Amino acid sequence: MNQPVLEARDLSKTFASGAERIAVFSGLSVSLAAGQSLALMGRSGSGKSTLLNLFCGLERPDNGVITLLGERFDYREAGAAGQQEKRWARLRRRQIGVMFQEANLMPALSLLDNVRLRARLAEQPLEQCQTWLERLGIGELAERYPDQVSGGQRQRAALAMVFAMNPDLILADEPTGSLDRRTAEEVTAELFRLQAETGVALVLATHDPELAEQCQVTLDLAHGNQAGPAP
Amino acid sequence: MTLFAAVFSHYRRHPLQLAALALMILVATTLWSGVRQLTEQARTSLSQSEQVIAGREQVVRVDGAALTVSDFVTLRRAGLCVMPWLEVPRQGDVGLVIGVDPLAAACFGGAGGAFGNSQIRLEGEPFVDISEAARMARELPAAEPPPSLALIAAGEVTADAVPAGYRLADFSRGPDTGELGESFLLNLDALGILVLLITALLLRSVYRLGIVQRRDSFALLHRFGVPPAQIDRWLVVELLVLSALCILPGLWLGSWLAGLLGQGFGRSLEGLFDAPLYAAPGQWLAPAFTMMAVVLVACLADFLVPGAHRLAGSRGKGKLAGGFLVTGLVLALLSPSLVWVFVAVAIVFAGAGLLTPALINRLADRAADASADPLSRWRYRELAVMARQLALPVVALQFTLAMVLAIQALVTTFEDTFDRWLGQRLEAELYVAVPEGRSGEAAARWLTSQPELQTSGVWHRVIRGRGSVSVSGSAPTPVDLFALSPVSSLVTSWDLLDAEDDPWATLTRGEGVLVNEQLARRLELGVGDRIALEVAGQQLNLPISGVYADYGRPAGEILISGALLPEQFRPDFESFSITPGTLTRAELIRGLEAVWQVSGMTVRDNEEIRALATGVFDQTFLLTRAMTVLTLTLAALALLVMGWVFFTGRNWYFRLLATWGLSRREVAAQLTRLSVGLTGSVALLALPLGIWLTWVLVHRINPLAFGWSLPMAVYPGFWVELIGLSLLIGLGIALLMGRQLRAGAALPVSASSLTGGER
Amino acid sequence: MRRTMLVLLWMVLAGCSQEPEQAGFAGLAEGVNEGGQLSYLQPGPDTGLTFPEDLGPHPRHRIEWWYLTANLRTKSGEPLGLQWTQFRQALVPREAGSIPEPETWPLEAAWMAHAAVSWNGKHVFAERLARGDVGNAGAEARPFSVWLDQWQLESVSEDQWRLQVKDESFGYDLTLTINDQPVAHGIDGFSAKSDSGQGSMYFSYVDIAISGTVTFEDQSLAVKGRGWFDREWSSQFLKTGQQGWDWFALHLDSGDKLMAFRLREEGNPFVSGTWIPASGQVQPLDSGQLALSAIEQREGVPVRWRIELPEQGVHLELSAPPGDYTNQGLYPYWESPVDISGSHTGEGYMELTGYR
Repeated sequence: MNQPVLEARDLSKTFASGAERIAVFSGLSVSLAAGQSLALMGRSGSGKSTLLNLFCGLERPDNGVITLLGERFDYREAGAAGQQEKRWARLRRRQIGVMFQEANLMPALSLLDNVRLRARLAEQPLEQCQTWLERLGIGELAERYPDQVSGGQRQRAALAMVFAMNPDLILADEPTGSLDRRTAEEVTAELFRLQAETGVALVLATHDPELAEQCQVTLDLAHGNQAGPAP
Repeated sequence: MTLFAAVFSHYRRHPLQLAALALMILVATTLWSGVRQLTEQARTSLSQSEQVIAGREQVVRVDGAALTVSDFVTLRRAGLCVMPWLEVPRQGDVGLVIGVDPLAAACFGGAGGAFGNSQIRLEGEPFVDISEAARMARELPAAEPPPSLALIAAGEVTADAVPAGYRLADFSRGPDTGELGESFLLNLDALGILVLLITALLLRSVYRLGIVQRRDSFALLHRFGVPPAQIDRWLVVELLVLSALCILPGLWLGSWLAGLLGQGFGRSLEGLFDAPLYAAPGQWLAPAFTMMAVVLVACLADFLVPGAHRLAGSRGKGKLAGGFLVTGLVLALLSPSLVWVFVAVAIVFAGAGLLTPALINRLADRAADASADPLSRWRYRELAVMARQLALPVVALQFTLAMVLAIQALVTTFEDTFDRWLGQRLEAELYVAVPEGRSGEAAARWLTSQPELQTSGVWHRVIRGRGSVSVSGSAPTPVDLFALSPVSSLVTSWDLLDAEDDPWATLTRGEGVLVNEQLARRLELGVGDRIALEVAGQQLNLPISGVYADYGRPAGEILISGALLPEQFRPDFESFSITPGTLTRAELIRGLEAVWQVSGMTVRDNEEIRALATGVFDQTFLLTRAMTVLTLTLAALALLVMGWVFFTGRNWYFRLLATWGLSRREVAAQLTRLSVGLTGSVALLALPLGIWLTWVLVHRINPLAFGWSLPMAVYPGFWVELIGLSLLIGLGIALLMGRQLRAGAALPVSASSLTGGER
Repeated sequence: MRRTMLVLLWMVLAGCSQEPEQAGFAGLAEGVNEGGQLSYLQPGPDTGLTFPEDLGPHPRHRIEWWYLTANLRTKSGEPLGLQWTQFRQALVPREAGSIPEPETWPLEAAWMAHAAVSWNGKHVFAERLARGDVGNAGAEARPFSVWLDQWQLESVSEDQWRLQVKDESFGYDLTLTINDQPVAHGIDGFSAKSDSGQGSMYFSYVDIAISGTVTFEDQSLAVKGRGWFDREWSSQFLKTGQQGWDWFALHLDSGDKLMAFRLREEGNPFVSGTWIPASGQVQPLDSGQLALSAIEQREGVPVRWRIELPEQGVHLELSAPPGDYTNQGLYPYWESPVDISGSHTGEGYMELTGYR
């Protein structure tokens, strides 16, 4: 691995709270190589989701530099936001798979159509979509709609969507947070299995230490802002 | 925090929703109560005058001359109980007043007599003391024919008691237009009700949406131990307070609207049906309660009829809609009366209302299935969802568009026909009214002696008065008599509905008469039929040589050659139509002023009269137009609000598109295509409904309401405008949504438990 | 009847009249208001009577009436009472000469006529209303004529008038022969109507021989008898506190005549009258010389009266014949013939207003 997939330097982010600004984190640095997995730990409100959003450009840090798949986003100087916006969109479309705790699917589309839509946006072949559903064990549910399947099946479909786009980085925000323990374990197993198979980098935000342990690196946001750089 | 505050807090967070509800109640109240006030006023006027004159007889002069005060004195001194009756239009105000003499009315007998002293209130609604009416009559512009005095006979007056020189006649102020006046009002009422229904739909959609959004907080309150019944009660209270707050100003605005449109409306009514509009006080209580009931029913129908909305499944709905459409269409085609035509329209609209959202839904689903591109498939599926979730405002918009389309077609057709007709009537350049007390004869002699006029100009004299017509011994029908002398080329270009070979030559020779369409219809007369015409006590027996069109004038008219007028005929009004040729206008006016020894005559040129007539015409439809425009605005606004709320609910999913790498502009483009797709399909579906409604208006309602029919015309240019307007509404929704996207999106309220409504 | 009714009539018409309230100008005899508007004239002791002008209308006065009562007998000798009255009520005062155009349907005066016949215990009454200046109602002094619709009183010769009334259920056509000069009541015709000096101009023809025909219940009755004709005009209504009025016009068989009236009010009623002896001076009577008292009521209406003129030695008891003699018009009042007994016998008429 000569170049990390994701490298963040000196990220800081504050939120306005009334007249004050509260620092979520400051001077945070992190680096992630292809095939690596990083767990973001911390209680709710510790900034896990915010950090994920920074990594895919849905939010902007107040300061710092993010280098993602060779694209460098320097937030130390003002301006060029519009340009960054477009570059981020391109990355999200083709190379970053984002997965939330729930509501990852368009409710008006069948599971297969959801996967196809995601693949189409990532300019990946649509023929693989059914295969992805099958690889996740829900091939026979392809024509069902999100409201017609269970929460676990929906998250499996969300995984199919993410992998169908053949991403370089997956950002998963509590992907099993709304599932029962057994289902969560099954879905997590699928995630790590496919991650290993495809060699994609993974950032996983979770409050579950057991889940975090399965990742190679853990960054605990709850314990201050020290960077836990990759070894 | 009190319970009410908790229940109401929703609107603190969504002030726009509250504003939309309030605005809709306000506008609906304004529109409906405004129209209602006008129609009620008209209806009161009609029934009042009917009641007052029902079965009454009047005393007229045998020689047909206009009655004067001295006739009144003669009859009273002869012991005849008659009362003077003088109708005068209000200048610069709505309607008409009737001057009566309450002192003279005393002999009508108080017991049960409509003229008993106790029943006449000289408060101007419509009765005033005759001295006041006479004063108003003197202040009328000189060009208007002076109001004519009628002498109404008490019930006991018998024919043999009437002194020589007078006779009894039926008392009716205008020609008998049958049910036409009532039908015209019914027409307006129906329009008012349509507007009310559309707004009720809109109201309901906005309100239900709020209720859905508040479901969670209601559940929370319930968990805190508040019984659901109590929450329901608070909701009713909330609605009552809101509607009370909006209905009252709405009623005030409605009466303002009625006042604004009243004059034109009064003129239309008078012009179309000779039914005068008396001033009448506005009502408050009944409309307020009606509006309140409409608001409550529209918003709380689910409480009243639990589960009613779940009755019909989508398939059942389709069948129901089909049944409605077929029934309505057949009924519209066959129904014999106006009321049933309206029922048919209602049924067809109900069918269309059920069908439209389902149809858009079905078509969008089909398109989704057919499209290979996942993104367009997504868009079609979303459109299908929108069509279902926004069914109420979508249907309201469709109804409104159809209504606007139909009314535009009708009015434009009227306008074109009327314009052509007016053009023929206004061949002459100048119109000069003979001043009161001056001789038309002298002016005619002067005009004849002008060589320029004889060689280069054209003129004729119109003598207007009253006569009566009977056919083969039937009871005489009063008619307006127009005598032309000479019969100039200014009239010979009229399009006649029916005529013998050279009707104008026959008319000139005094060997025939022309009658208007109304008289021909009423007496079932045709060319060649002979009629007995009584003018100033003289009998004329002549054949009809032609029938001319009379758009909008219900009075029976008869056109004869001036040479046939008997000596003793006293005209009500005389005028000259003149195209002066090389004689200048100034010379002409000087000459006539010298003949009449007056200064400042009333001379109008044809443009002026055209403007006047067109003005009256426009007034007739001002009300209709105002209503359609306001309703359209309201429908657009409602769809805007609803669309905005719909998008807010699905904001998360639209933001998914951004998460998946679509740029903000691309997402906005998708949303625009979605909303424009919706409003565009609504507009397209409104077209057939609108065209059908046009047909109903022109071929069914119009003949029943106005008594004459016009060719149906369609105006595709206007369709394009309407579609454009719908697309603009769609753009507006997309624009609002684009703003929404920039703000963050919360996870959908019930994302973890999808209900199926989302797809 | 004469006053209260007109007040009410005026109220009915008030809706169409802009006549300003003039109570404060009650005493002004002459002149024009500051606004240029003509005011009503108020009669006074100096006004005096003018003949024959005063038989005609007085348009600068608010109210006036022409009032005939007659005690007649049919051929078979049955008594028959008869009344004819015409009232004028001004809504706007105006000079006698300035008559508005009839075409304008002016509303400057309202006219009302009453006719009644009392016979055989029955009483019929008719009322007609009209606006003035239009032509179907009015009055003229020369030749004397008062008319409303087809009812009219007009002079046919120097001393003869003809009165014609025709209504649905009754009518009359009478010749009136005026046998005497008019009698001026009060001071030169000024008859006070209260202690504070308000009053009206009032004169009467008290000796009128009448003959003619009365149509009653489809019978044509030849009648003969005597009548009493009053002319009265003023600009004042009843004074505040005055509740009604009792008025008597009596023919005594001695040839003497008596007019007496009483205006009822809180405390002392205002009593006045005129003693017209068969020969000699006409004598105005005040409360010291004339006493009126009701002695029997019939359904709230005093139908028997005692009238005392101590100086003249006249002690009369009047009684109305059986029956109800209420004129059921816009404003009901009692108008009946009376029989006289006591120190003198005779007959006459009685008008009572403000009862019941």
